[in-house]
Amino acid sequence: MRLLTHNLLSSHVRGVGPRGFPLRLQATEVRIHPVEFNPDFIARMIPKVEWAALLEAADTLHLVEVPKEPIQGYEHNEEFLRKMHHVLLEVEVLEGTLQCPESGRLFPISRGIPNMLLSDEETET
Amino acid sequence: MSNNCHSLRVETAMNQKDKKMDHAAAQLEKQHVHDVYESTAPYFSDLQSKAWPRVRQFLQEQKPGSLIADIGCGTGKYLKVNSQVYTMGCDYCAPLVEIARSRGCEVTVCDNLNLPFRDQRFDAIISIGVIHHFSTKQRRIRAIKEMARILVPGGQLMIYVWAMEQKNRHFEKQDVLVPWNKALCSQPLSEAGQPGRRQQCGRPERGPPYHPPCSACRCSECSEGRRDSKRSHSVDCDAVLAGTCCANTSEEGEEDNGFYNMLGKSFRSWFSSRSLDESTLRKQIEKVRPLKNTGSWANSTISIQPSRHSSFDLGHPETLSTGEQNVDEEVFVEPSQGPLECLRAPTTRKQLNGDHPGVMRRNGDANFLGGTDAKENCVDEDNVEEDTASGSKLWGRVSAADSTDSNPGDAISVEQQPDVLDSRAFMRYYHVFREGELCGLLQESVSELHILSSGNDHGNWCVIAEKTESCD
Repeated sequence: MRLLTHNLLSSHVRGVGPRGFPLRLQATEVRIHPVEFNPDFIARMIPKVEWAALLEAADTLHLVEVPKEPIQGYEHNEEFLRKMHHVLLEVEVLEGTLQCPESGRLFPISRGIPNMLLSDEETET
Repeated sequence: MSNNCHSLRVETAMNQKDKKMDHAAAQLEKQHVHDVYESTAPYFSDLQSKAWPRVRQFLQEQKPGSLIADIGCGTGKYLKVNSQVYTMGCDYCAPLVEIARSRGCEVTVCDNLNLPFRDQRFDAIISIGVIHHFSTKQRRIRAIKEMARILVPGGQLMIYVWAMEQKNRHFEKQDVLVPWNKALCSQPLSEAGQPGRRQQCGRPERGPPYHPPCSACRCSECSEGRRDSKRSHSVDCDAVLAGTCCANTSEEGEEDNGFYNMLGKSFRSWFSSRSLDESTLRKQIEKVRPLKNTGSWANSTISIQPSRHSSFDLGHPETLSTGEQNVDEEVFVEPSQGPLECLRAPTTRKQLNGDHPGVMRRNGDANFLGGTDAKENCVDEDNVEEDTASGSKLWGRVSAADSTDSNPGDAISVEQQPDVLDSRAFMRYYHVFREGELCGLLQESVSELHILSSGNDHGNWCVIAEKTESCD
């Protein structure tokens, strides 16, 4: 699970609504997997990122410090873009958990795949 | 915060009856969708099911930097079509998701009815061959509304569902159970020792002049290239490899089409003369497995579909543009024993334990339980029948015919093919859509989506719809 994916995921335990984001990340196994740098792609992704959630996740993984917000003129700042590229796409959580901040429910990450399935009881109307 | 215009989760208050219905529907789907995909996943290979051109086109047309979700991604065949976008694959079936993951795709295991994403996250969503696995109208609506919820205003959703109206087959009912023939699949991935792309589809031991489709690839480039491409937005290997690998197949395909066309006619005539009679069906089913709660199960509205097509797992080259919808049945040729002979085999299979798939309680609502009277008022000027495809898509069916029998007149004795026996237990549930039904569903129940276009693509009804802009 890459951090860009983490940035999209939310808990959908019944009743939690928008308070199910962001999921609290805990990682027991992480790997760095090089990905071809595409500055245009990263530049376009930046506006879609929920920055606070990304900061929190990156911090949990002890990653190189991510700026508090996109810097001015980031579209042309290669150093910034490369840093973001690394954080968003090259760090993979292989094993760990995602925790719903509201309900505490844990979702496992195994072999890089988050399992977000809920039980019948958790989804029942 | 004003949220009137946002499509929030459908918080329908279900009464007791609805809950029971929903629970029954979920059970049916567990047995005849989820468990089947899970059990048959080892036999899947991404090479076995190629991307549909129109879907690929839809994906390639998305703006660079878009966030895309493939809800029901299976082994991930669409996840790498466009390297300039970020595509999340989602599927209920963990084994299939694992396969997609092994190709380097970003995937998650989740439920279409409860998508783990916040509102308005994705710029585009595809749902290819998924909605037809939901067994009630309410669930189909819920699934579509969930996807609409996570779509940005102005974002587009593409939906493909299997059409009831088919050129070369006849669906008795809209709600069908379709068998899957393991014998027509590649070897299990575990046996292959690596993602099973090197293994061939089809079973050479079973006789006839059968040319495996090249996509089930023996090319070392294919499997190597695929393995190495773990980058999230690398060049789309599918397109490249399909081009090189499939060149030969189309020629072979034409040749075999001729053979099939001959064969096809006799199948067709046999088929129409033996169209399923519902009461016969029910009698057969009842013989095979004892019904529980017969009192409350009134009418059988699901038919077991004995159709003539090869398993989709057989593998179809890119040029064929066949997707799962046109495959995964096997040839049933049992004039003397009747088309339901196969059902005797599965009684021992645990997959078919529990509720009887063929009999469900009738319900007044237009879900499958009561039979569906689809509204045929969809404005569908774009209904394009692609005749050219029908020739090439028969490629897969030749194999099926070859594999299970060479003469349509011969009865298939199920006992002779013990490994096939087991496979017939994997019956997948489908609600096949009538023309106009999908559009009607959106128009009537999903106001947050506005239909942009609709049509028919290789035996599927497809729709592209746009999330209406919020009114804040």
